[in-house]
Amino acid sequence: MLRKSAIILFVVFVTTLLLTGCGSSGKSDKTNNDSTQQVNAVSDSISGNNDSITSPVSTTKNDTLKVNNTSASNTKIAKPKVEVYYFHGANRCVSCIAIEDATKKTLNTYFKNELAKGTIKFKIINVEEDANKAISEKYQAFGSALFVTQIFNGKETKTDLTGDGFKYAKNKEEKFIEILKNKISEYLK
Amino acid sequence: MKNIAFIFLGLFFSFQVFAQKDTDTVISNNPQKLKVKLLYFHITNRCNTCRSIEAAVRKTIDENFKTELDSGIIDLYILNCELPENKTISEKYQAYGATLAVTKVVGVKEKTDDLTNFAFAKIHDEKVFVSELKSKIQELLK
Repeated sequence: MLRKSAIILFVVFVTTLLLTGCGSSGKSDKTNNDSTQQVNAVSDSISGNNDSITSPVSTTKNDTLKVNNTSASNTKIAKPKVEVYYFHGANRCVSCIAIEDATKKTLNTYFKNELAKGTIKFKIINVEEDANKAISEKYQAFGSALFVTQIFNGKETKTDLTGDGFKYAKNKEEKFIEILKNKISEYLK
Repeated sequence: MKNIAFIFLGLFFSFQVFAQKDTDTVISNNPQKLKVKLLYFHITNRCNTCRSIEAAVRKTIDENFKTELDSGIIDLYILNCELPENKTISEKYQAYGATLAVTKVVGVKEKTDDLTNFAFAKIHDEKVFVSELKSKIQELLK
């Protein structure tokens, strides 16, 4: 009788232990979800205080990027996910001006929010100015050149759209805008 | 006085048309032997980079494929895509501005590679440009 009670007690104890384990797991998941939401919520107000994003490290691609951005820059400004650089020389031709105009049009039409939030950064750079020497050399831009760069996990992935710019921007602007829009959208994912 | 003005106006427009047509080059010597077409399109108002690309394309052909060009194995097209007479060919190769394309021809079939991004990326070093374009053409001639 005593032995039977001991066995029952043991079974109850083991079952309780197992159930508690499942519960922790569930709780852990919930915590992770909460962390993700927290990162998302903070990142929504990314222009505010980014120092508050410290511990939560989400497993999702975007959230990881946001956390890394904050820790890497260690400033109040979040690092953008996409950088668009347009390089030009001092003497500019019609195609060169058309590329700049179409790039601005693309960004203002389709990525206004991302520009405002700082997720996208757009820079127009005169390669002939000394102050721009380093960035121009980094991109091997010696005249007109258009680059879209994705920054993810501290890694940069560049796409050179200069040829597409010269090919389409002046006489087939809609085609160029489509190419640029698609590339930026791809890099924002 | 009025007549002189009209004559000058006429001459001005004639020079404009001739000046534009002068830039076009079509070398197609033997369609039966044709294996590769090299095409460079440009607009009327050209920048230095665009002119440099044309010069480097011509140099590549002159220094490495003169025999193939003369015998008709390679065709060379340098065309202003903004001229009405070039509209059809420009649309065929989707050339609405400066465009470098190389086409492998097998019978009536054509396979085109767009080298515009390559051209603008490499033109700052003509040696590299010529060498890489040469390799691409050689590959297509095999």
